Amino acid sequence: MKNLLKLLSPFAPDQSGAVGVLYELGGLVVICDAGGCAGNICGFDEPRWFTKKSAVFSAGLRDMDAILGRDDKLIEKTARAVGQVDVKFTAVVGTPVPAVIATDYRALKRMAENKTSLPAMCVDCTGTRLYDDGEERAYLELFKTFAIEKYETVRGKVGIIGCTPLATGYMTEKIFKGYFGDDAVCFGMGSGIDEIKRASECEKNIVVSTGGIKAAEYMKQQFGIPYETAFPVTDAMENALGHDLDGKKILVVHQQFAANKMRKMLEDRFSCTVDVGTFFKLFDEYKRDGDVYIPDEEKLVEKVLDGGYDAVIIDNICNRALKEFTGELIDLAHFAVSGRLDENGGQVCLL
Amino acid sequence: MNNAFYITAQELAQKGFENTPEELLSAKHLIYSSPATLAFNSPGAQGFGVKRAGLAIPGSVMLLVSPGCCGRNTTMQSRLCGYQDRFFYLLLDDTDIVTGRHLTKIPEAVKEVYEFCDKKPSAVMICITCVDALLGTDMERVSRKCEELAGVPVVPCYMYALTREKKLPPMAAVRKAVYSLLEPQKRHSDSMNILGHFAPLNDDCEMYELLTKAGIKHIREISRCEDFEEYKKMSQANFNLVINSEARYAAQQMEETLGIPFIEMMRMYHIGKIHNQYMSLANAIGVEFDDGEHFEKTKKAINEFKDKYGELNFAIGEFLNADSFELAWALLTYGFSVSEIYGTVGERNFVFVKAIAKLSPETKIFSNLSPTMLDYEPSGKAIDVCIGNDAGYYHAGVPTVDWNEERQPFGYAGVRLLFEQLDRALKGEGK
Repeated sequence: MKNLLKLLSPFAPDQSGAVGVLYELGGLVVICDAGGCAGNICGFDEPRWFTKKSAVFSAGLRDMDAILGRDDKLIEKTARAVGQVDVKFTAVVGTPVPAVIATDYRALKRMAENKTSLPAMCVDCTGTRLYDDGEERAYLELFKTFAIEKYETVRGKVGIIGCTPLATGYMTEKIFKGYFGDDAVCFGMGSGIDEIKRASECEKNIVVSTGGIKAAEYMKQQFGIPYETAFPVTDAMENALGHDLDGKKILVVHQQFAANKMRKMLEDRFSCTVDVGTFFKLFDEYKRDGDVYIPDEEKLVEKVLDGGYDAVIIDNICNRALKEFTGELIDLAHFAVSGRLDENGGQVCLL
Repeated sequence: MNNAFYITAQELAQKGFENTPEELLSAKHLIYSSPATLAFNSPGAQGFGVKRAGLAIPGSVMLLVSPGCCGRNTTMQSRLCGYQDRFFYLLLDDTDIVTGRHLTKIPEAVKEVYEFCDKKPSAVMICITCVDALLGTDMERVSRKCEELAGVPVVPCYMYALTREKKLPPMAAVRKAVYSLLEPQKRHSDSMNILGHFAPLNDDCEMYELLTKAGIKHIREISRCEDFEEYKKMSQANFNLVINSEARYAAQQMEETLGIPFIEMMRMYHIGKIHNQYMSLANAIGVEFDDGEHFEKTKKAINEFKDKYGELNFAIGEFLNADSFELAWALLTYGFSVSEIYGTVGERNFVFVKAIAKLSPETKIFSNLSPTMLDYEPSGKAIDVCIGNDAGYYHAGVPTVDWNEERQPFGYAGVRLLFEQLDRALKGEGK
């Protein structure tokens, strides 16, 4: 049955993606939920929660708040918290509850701005979509709200969009600066809201995950900043190259830009054929024939078994769905799939 | 830098429960789910939340019917707790959550899950979440349809975080759910159940000995039932002993449907109160308990600990197998200091706030969930030892006893185990 998972667990949802984008920017982030979503986001999808403090709170909604649409109460609570912690803006991130009751985010944004006198933004998430959708919405809203002034272009300054633990498996900007240069600024990772405001200084943007494309496109249209896609070489990718894959047909499953990088590395090292598969966004502009969007576990099994592959490079949490595959399964952790970080050697991030 | 909000025990006692400051009331402010609080504020991250608890019925599996976000942390549970073969997910899309059209798919999904399982499940638990709470889903009706189609008992579990402060919060509702498959049968005078937790009491708990000596031959806990047949014998009980108030509604249901009366006890750390509770229990079931040996042994253990370490100063959290305020009060009566408590003040435990105020008026009471805890910094009298993972989070580097194991401490044995663990922590053998 479509949407029935018997072997895999759900992947990181849009609300986690949105919070991941906003996490380090110094705002007050309100997850518009009853508590469970915030617990999932902070306890599982945001590994920085255990190493780096951030003002991410749950709205603590109760049934009557939702039924009666008590937005004023939410704004009251938000304003109170603004008076208690040092923050530069407020952001409301949606969940299934506001999705069901059709919360008016534009009204919420205005109410928050009026009540707190701080800039406000809302990210319309529903909990039914995937993390890169939430990242896409959050990045776009972020740049639209804060990157409004045109600054003089700084020669050599590169903006990196899409650096989140969910998409990349890294919690710090070190690997990105190491790969793209020390002058690179990773928006939302190791930099705050001021860098977003000055984003028009960048000579070029590099998008490392699919959630960043729309924002990069916006910056191109708004300020003429060109962008390209890329991904750094990671330890996990190097490890995958340790297998003998010469003459093999390989499927790489990850977010599209990480998978494309893996493909490039494989093709540089071996004489092989590589397809990319992804559970997440697949942009036509960056795909080749044979690349495929994988909507669920049934399609994953179908693609792997019917594709004639000798090896599949995929997060090993998916192995239990691929028991019938007789080829080689090579691990490539994806935090949004399994909660395993590259940065700590592929371990599950725990409390 | 702002300061974390706190109120002293004396100030709070003087104000009275009705005038509890809003900062201590989670419904009045945004909720900070700090690393200290995740496990209990968002059950499921650790320990038993609704999803894991719903699988307490031996041999059952769970179908979580929800947006993907609700099942996200189950990835970790599945991996770490050996539940990989017991969780299934029917993911809802945008249209489902607005129209409720997913309800028609559930019976087919249950059937597919049942057929997929090599070892046929004893029951399928259907877990639904906030979306269905708002849609007003009649899951009892849907479950009956599932039973007809799949030919397996189907039980709804309500993970309605939106109703956590209602009369039947999710963790109470799931306790009702897991006993709902019991059917009436002849009750046995030598059988009883202990209700309250999803893991058993520690084996050395004196409760077993006291009840056995009083003639009880079958003491059942759901977590000790090895299979569905054993589980079904729980309806033979002559009485239920409720040791966690969240199981009260389940006990009431069992009284109504199975005719099994119940008695309630509270987990306490004050040995005088433990004794009183045992005497009340003995009186209620018409037997005599001799707990003198356990009492003396425990008293001796406390005294030896105190002789060894002196008047230690404690910080007490709330992610632990205790009521924070009762535990703090017990420690104060034993002659220790408690300078900080991170806990949730309620009507039920306010009596301990008052008792603490008399013995230690300056004890600071914090709310773990207050946004101001983002800026908590230790201050005042140095903490010697923490009880609770959350207290340990605030006082990194201070010896800490997590005191949140799944196996449940209770009674005198629980008190002794706590002091053993404190001893180990202070010797540097713990955290």
